Amino acid sequence: MNKSFDRRTFLKGATTGVGFGLVGVMGLYSYSPLRKAHFPNVDRKMTDIGTLKSVHVTNISETSWFENAVLMGDIKKAGGLLVNQYDYNWPPFGNGKGLGKGSYEEGIAKIKQYLPHDLEKAWSIIEQECVSVENAGGFAALLDIEELDGTKRKFLLDSGWSYKWMDECFKREGIDAMLRNKEIEALIISHEHFDHYWGLPVTLKYDPDITIYIPEGFYEEGKQYIKDSGHTGKLIEVKNGLNKIIPGLATYVFPVPIICRVFGEQSIYCNVKDKGLVSVTGCCHQGIIQFAETAYNELKYENDNFYGIYGGLHISPFDDWDPKYDDLVISLRNYDFDVIGCNHCTGLVCANKFIQAGYPVVRGTAQHRSKDTAYLGNGDTITFG
Amino acid sequence: MERFGVGYLEERKLVKRTSGLTAGIVSLVLVLAVFYGTWWIFHDPRGLMRMYTPYVGYMYCRWWLIMMIWMVYIFDYWPFRRSWLNTAHPVLKGLVLTAVSALILVTLIKGFFEGLLGNYGLAYFNPEQLEKLPGITSFFAIEYASLAILMFAAIASWLSPAWVVAMENAPWEKLKQPVRGLTILLVTFFLSTIVYFITMHSHMGILYQPWQSFTSIAPPYWENFADTVSGNFHIAWIMCCTVVIWLVETIWQRYPFNLIKNAWARRFAMFFGIIAIALALNFFLYFAQELTWGEAVRGTRREFSPDWRWLHVGEMAIFWLVPALALSFYFDNWPRKYSMPVNVAVRTVISIVGAVLLYIVYYKTSHLFLGTQKGFSHPQQFPMIPMIWLVNIMLVHHWFMDNWPMWKMVPKTQEEIDQDHAAAAAELEAEKPTRSYGWGVGAGVVAGVAVYFVVVAILPAAYSAITIIN
Repeated sequence: MNKSFDRRTFLKGATTGVGFGLVGVMGLYSYSPLRKAHFPNVDRKMTDIGTLKSVHVTNISETSWFENAVLMGDIKKAGGLLVNQYDYNWPPFGNGKGLGKGSYEEGIAKIKQYLPHDLEKAWSIIEQECVSVENAGGFAALLDIEELDGTKRKFLLDSGWSYKWMDECFKREGIDAMLRNKEIEALIISHEHFDHYWGLPVTLKYDPDITIYIPEGFYEEGKQYIKDSGHTGKLIEVKNGLNKIIPGLATYVFPVPIICRVFGEQSIYCNVKDKGLVSVTGCCHQGIIQFAETAYNELKYENDNFYGIYGGLHISPFDDWDPKYDDLVISLRNYDFDVIGCNHCTGLVCANKFIQAGYPVVRGTAQHRSKDTAYLGNGDTITFG
Repeated sequence: MERFGVGYLEERKLVKRTSGLTAGIVSLVLVLAVFYGTWWIFHDPRGLMRMYTPYVGYMYCRWWLIMMIWMVYIFDYWPFRRSWLNTAHPVLKGLVLTAVSALILVTLIKGFFEGLLGNYGLAYFNPEQLEKLPGITSFFAIEYASLAILMFAAIASWLSPAWVVAMENAPWEKLKQPVRGLTILLVTFFLSTIVYFITMHSHMGILYQPWQSFTSIAPPYWENFADTVSGNFHIAWIMCCTVVIWLVETIWQRYPFNLIKNAWARRFAMFFGIIAIALALNFFLYFAQELTWGEAVRGTRREFSPDWRWLHVGEMAIFWLVPALALSFYFDNWPRKYSMPVNVAVRTVISIVGAVLLYIVYYKTSHLFLGTQKGFSHPQQFPMIPMIWLVNIMLVHHWFMDNWPMWKMVPKTQEEIDQDHAAAAAELEAEKPTRSYGWGVGAGVVAGVAVYFVVVAILPAAYSAITIIN
């Protein structure tokens, strides 16, 4: 045998060397600037969704709940943020068994017969059967669109949570009459969360025939609720991705997992003539920067400019914080939004950080139970265009 | 003289009650059944205690792992006597040792972290102190305190076994228990404290509004390099360290570090080699996400945010640990018939394939039976919790219960122990590097680099060919 070269020993060394080579190159190359050569150049799609003249947003309600401590206390006692939202025994799905022991089937069975025509009666039952009834509020906004030819069109974004609170809010802003008169052509549901969706019968009370857009990802209970609430109109389940609705207005569905067992969020892009893109969101669980990046990659919009934001940005909804949110506060500057009309789950902690960072946050009036002027509150309005 | 547990793992002979793969498969099924039952009791958001909030469950899960490492690796089962370990029924041993580990666990968290540190040092270790902050809810006060305590655990789960595996207990290896255990515990805890302050304290400091710049460095020094201010950047490589230690200890049989004859050179090479391998793994797993999901965008959420990507590096690493331990504990560290480097390479490939399969199965199905949410990046989706819980159950079964019931523990005779030592020495002698070995290493390095670029080239297409989340 040739002692200077032994094939078996060579192979053992080679096997070991493969490990050394792999570890070495993994360590030296994988996070080096050279790696960027492997990233494909993605061309912007520049999809044309048209333009509109202006968007006027009325904040019907941004107070989804009134006390963080009550909501988080319930979530804590029920088992945390992954507990199925239909199990909490929150209004309207109560079975009288207490926190964390509810179910959609038992809850809806007690009120179904009163939906949507007799919400007062339904609510009186809910008060008996559910927990934390008085803490329920809701999120809803009215979008008044003016098209380029001057035509006015109205869309409702979300329908809130508490039947009682949302009915009050609808009446305060005249939404009830608009629905009765069929002035609002569609209800766009951002996602299945209790505070955006469970107030559905309040919209249907005034217009059961309204067209409803829901994002892909609703659970069975959520879909059944539409039927059980007495909807008689057209239901459109929007697939993930871009969905044009009218010239200048499109929705985009993001397949994101969300707390309390919810999946998928639908947000709105409005392309305002000569101004730029406006993002209107319910909670924006996908993240506002993701939403902006998606627009950049997918859409053609005026002046290539991010013009405005309205809605919840889901950053510190419970006045909680995480360093990753600082990444957002730091990075949002790169997108150069002209107007930021945030509220709701953006959180006051975050709104104040935006203000301190010098962002163009539109202040509110803190009326109708909104707590702070740091952002747009209930009854406040904002116009883009 | 009364013997305690020193050398117990080495000196026990586990005799399979059935031949072939049956014992391993049955054991895995049993372990999974216990995992699922205990998951339901302790963690599942639909179960009894619902500790998966997620950080409360995560904290207990991680520290329980360390409690077992302390009991078995650092204290060698002290104060349990060898005669009891040899003769007690595995179920009794499992119950007693698990109860002791749980008792130490609760004492450590409630007494040391929340009680002592939280009340007299750093407020963020104690939920009640945090609740004094205006606006904070009880839920998040508990979550933040749990986060801080579990971040400490991440470091301790790396350094505690590192001193035993890599540093071979030196320079205190000749001390008797409990002096040796206590010394190593204090040293590793001290090192963990230092690493905690320079990797995690800033993360906690910027949880406050305004940033606590005068008590923690804010923004943290890693911001530009990691593209985030989040401490998840450190969680990533530290988790990789934890995983690599156990790969070195189990399926790699400490190869190739065991070829170094000089004890101190070997120890330092192993200690820092583990860190180097972990960093390489860390950066590669981050790159793999960029190749499959696209570049991260700072400030965004979920799959595209750098902070989540770093966290996911640690999560992916944990998926590798489970099949590696299963191979070692239940399948006799197969194969053993080839040379050490080939055995190690084959086991590495098997465990990587197992990890990829486990990753796919987990994300495809876990939301159907663990009470977690569908999707990769739900803010409450922490696969580290079920994976570490599963590892914990496996450790209870393997360390505390001698793989009962599919194996029977028989103490080795002195002759068998001597034979094992001789066989291990002979195995190492057979791997003594020669000139041919050196040429082989050189050629292998070139091949390894080539393999890397092949993997990088095919990874995007391979990933897009598999639908993990429907």
